[in-house]
Amino acid sequence: MQPKILIADDEQSIVVPLEFLMEQKGYQVMAAYNGEEAIEKIISFNPDLILLDIMLPIIDGFEVCQMIRSNPNWKDIKIIFVSAMGREVDIAKGLALGADAYITKPFANIEIINKVKEVLEHNK
Amino acid sequence: MNPINKFWWFVATSAVITLVLLFSLAWLFWQQLTPAEKIIIDTISSKNFIYIFSAILLIAGCLIFVFDGILHVYILPAKKLTGETHIINSVNHSHRICIEGSRDIMRLAEAINEGAERYENLQRNVDEMIHFARTESEKERNILAAVMSELPEGILICNSEGQIILYNKKARQLFESRTGLKQEQNLQNGLVGIGRSVFGIIEKKLLVHALDEIAAGLKEANRNVSSFITVSREEKLLRAEAVPVLNHLKQITGFILIFEDITEQLEKESRFDSLLLSFTRGVRASIAGIRSAIEVVLEYPDIKKEQLNEFTGIIHRESITLGNMIDETFFNYSCRFNSMWPLVKMSAADLIETVKKKAEEKPGVTIHFLKPDIPCWIKVDTYSMITAFLFLLEELENETGQHEFRCSIECKNKFIMINIMWEGNPLKIETFRVLDKKIIRIEKEGKPLTLKEIMKHHEAEAFSFVDRNTANKSCIRLLLPSTGESVSENTRNLTILPESRPVFYDFDLFNQPGQVPEMDNRPLSELIYTVFDTETTGLNPEEDEIISVGAIRIVNGHLLRDESFDQLVNPGRTLPFESIQFHGIEEHMLQNQPSIEQVLPRFGKFAEGTVLVAHNAAFDMRMLQMKESKSKIKFINPVLDTMLLSAIVHPAHTDHNLEAIAARLGVSIIGRHTALGDAIATGELFTKLIPLLSKMGIYTLKQAREASRKTQFAKIKY
Repeated sequence: MQPKILIADDEQSIVVPLEFLMEQKGYQVMAAYNGEEAIEKIISFNPDLILLDIMLPIIDGFEVCQMIRSNPNWKDIKIIFVSAMGREVDIAKGLALGADAYITKPFANIEIINKVKEVLEHNK
Repeated sequence: MNPINKFWWFVATSAVITLVLLFSLAWLFWQQLTPAEKIIIDTISSKNFIYIFSAILLIAGCLIFVFDGILHVYILPAKKLTGETHIINSVNHSHRICIEGSRDIMRLAEAINEGAERYENLQRNVDEMIHFARTESEKERNILAAVMSELPEGILICNSEGQIILYNKKARQLFESRTGLKQEQNLQNGLVGIGRSVFGIIEKKLLVHALDEIAAGLKEANRNVSSFITVSREEKLLRAEAVPVLNHLKQITGFILIFEDITEQLEKESRFDSLLLSFTRGVRASIAGIRSAIEVVLEYPDIKKEQLNEFTGIIHRESITLGNMIDETFFNYSCRFNSMWPLVKMSAADLIETVKKKAEEKPGVTIHFLKPDIPCWIKVDTYSMITAFLFLLEELENETGQHEFRCSIECKNKFIMINIMWEGNPLKIETFRVLDKKIIRIEKEGKPLTLKEIMKHHEAEAFSFVDRNTANKSCIRLLLPSTGESVSENTRNLTILPESRPVFYDFDLFNQPGQVPEMDNRPLSELIYTVFDTETTGLNPEEDEIISVGAIRIVNGHLLRDESFDQLVNPGRTLPFESIQFHGIEEHMLQNQPSIEQVLPRFGKFAEGTVLVAHNAAFDMRMLQMKESKSKIKFINPVLDTMLLSAIVHPAHTDHNLEAIAARLGVSIIGRHTALGDAIATGELFTKLIPLLSKMGIYTLKQAREASRKTQFAKIKY
C-alpha cells in the first residue's frame, strides 16, 4: 500500500509542486491550507507522514505538531517541518516538539524526496 | 526653670533658713530668762507691738526691694550677657551686646563688644583670604556641576548605605514625573534627593546583585562594572551601569549609577529585527516555491501543458512577490539607515550661504547665489556636506578652468534640487565618474569618504547634466530629500554657569552611618530634617483648614533649596478676610488646587524618615493631626520646635517669635508669611541653633526633645 502524505502549507506555490512531486514518487497525497484543516485531514485521511509548515493560519505548525504528539492514536505519524523559519532556535524547537526532521525553505526537491523516503523507511 | 523664678526661689529659701535660725536663737534666749524678766519683756512687746511689727515689715520690704534691684541689675543682665556672648562667639559675629544693668556689667559688656569687634575684623581678613583662595576652585567646580547637570545620562552617586550623595537633573527627570496623576506614582516609588535612599527608586535586590557582581569582579581584578536594565516609573527602559567608588584600601565606599534611556533605541532595534526576520522568511518562502517549481519542470520535461503553465505561473507570481518584498523592506530599512548618521535639519539656503562664504575665501572664486522664495528644509550632516560642496567646486575649477559659479535651489515634489552652474562645457560622464569615487578627506586624519559615500549617507544623488531651460548652462545637480519645516530638533538647554552651585550633592554623606538607626541617640548635626510650615484659614485647628504647605530639607546641616515642597491646598471653604490680609493667598488661587487629602500623602512621602521641624510646631502638628482620619496619613516623625529650642538657648529673652530669633541670630528673612518662605526662615534659624545647643551640652535628638519639654512654651496646647 502506498504511504500517505499530508502537505500542510498556506502557500499554494509550495503545495502545488510538492503535491506533484510526491504523486510522481508514488505517494498518496492530500493538502491542507491551515492548521485546523490539517487536523481534520489527519482524522479523515490518516496520513503516514506530514510535511508541515510552521506559519499556518488558525493553528500554527508547532501547535499542530504538539497536538499530534499528544494523541496516542497518532503516534506513528511522521512529521517533517518545512519552514521558512530558519533560525537554529526554530529548528531546535521543532525537533524538541517531536518532529522527525526539519527542512528550511528554500529546499532542493531531491532533498525533500530523500528526507521523506528516509523518514518513512525508518518507520519500517 | 525661668531665671527670675529661680532667683526668687533662692531668696525665699534663704529667708526661711534665716528666720528658722533667728527663732531658734530667740527660743534659747527665752528659756534662760526668769519668770519676772519674761513678764517684763511680754509687757513691753505687747505695749509696742505695732512698732515692732512695722519695723519688721519695713525691713522685709527693704530687703525685697534690694533683692529685686540685684536681680535686675546683676543677675538678669549677667544671664543675658552669657547668652549674647554665645551668639557672638558662635552664629552671629556681628551681634553686639546692648543691655541695661550695673556699671560693672555694662563695662563688662563694653569689653566683650570691643573684643568681638577685634575678633570680627580679624575674621573678616581671614574670610577674605579664604574667599580669594576658594574663588578659583569654585569656578572649576561650577563648570563641573553645570556639565554634570547637562549630561545626557542620568547620574546618581550613592554611599554604601544606598543614600544618594549626588544626582544630576537628568536622573531626576528619569525617575520623577511632574504632572498631576503621575505624582501619585512618585509616591509609591520614592524621590530622588540628597540623603534619600536609592532603594526607593530601584529595586534593592537588583542593586545588591550588581554590587555582589562588582565585588566578585574586583577580587578577580578583571571586571568592576555591572550593568542591568531597570524600568522607570514612566515605563521607560533604562540601561544602568553601576561603578564602584573605592577607598584607599580598595573597599567599596559607594557606587555610581549611570542611567541611559534605551526605550527608543530598543524599539528601533526590535522593529529592525522583526523587519529582518519577516524579510528572511518571506524570501525563503518565495524562493522555495520558485525553486521547487523550476526543479519539477527540469526534472519532468514531459509534464502536461496545464501543469507546466501552473508551475511557470508559480514562478512568475513568486518572483513578483519577491520584488515587492524587497521594495517594501528597503523602504522600511531606509528609515533606520537615516538614523545612523546624525543629520541636522536646516534650510538649504543656509547651507549654500555657508558654502559660498567658505569657497570665496579662496581668491578669485565667485559664487552667485539666488535665494529661493520659500525656505527649503533638508537634513544634513553639515560638516561632510559642506566639505563635499567645496570639493566639487574645487574639482570643477580644475576641470573647467572657471572661477565663477551660480547656485540655485529648487523645491520639487519630495526633493530639494541644488544646482551648481557655470558657463562653458559640461562635465563629461567619465570625469564625473572618477570624481564621484575620489576620496575626500573629512579631517586631516579623519575617515576618508568619497563624494558618493557622502551622498549615500544623505540619501542624495549628485550628477552632471546640461540644463536646457537655463540657456544651456552646464550644471551639477544635487538631489536631497526634503523635510517639512519644523522647530529644530535636539535642542539642549544652554549651559549657564551659576553664581553659586546648585546643591545636587553632599559628599560628607559618604561617612554617614547606617540609614535608620536609633534617631534618638544620633547627633543633631547628622540627622536629616524636613522643616515645614502651614498657612491656614485661621488659628483654630478644630475649625480652620490648611491652605498651603511649604517644606524644605536639611541634610548634613545644609538647607537644600532645590529639594523643597510648595503646595497650595483647596480648603473647600471660604477664606476669612483677615486671614487673606495675613498670608496674601486669595480664593481664586486655590480653586484648581488639590485637596488636603491629596496633598498630605505627598507631603508624608517627602518627609519620610526625617525629623520634622517647625516654628511653634504644636500648632502645625495639631493641624496635621486633625486631618489624620481624612488623609489616612499619620505623621509619626520625631518633631523639634524652633520656638522651644530658642527658649532653651536664650532663657533670659522673653521674645521667641521668628523675627526676634532671626534678629538675634543674624538671619535675614525673605518671603515671610508664605508657607515655603517661613519654612526656609525656620530652617535657617534651626541650622544656627544646632551649634548653640551643643554649647549647652545638648547634642542628640533625645536631649533636644527633653530640654524642649522643660521650657515654659512647651505647655502651650492647641
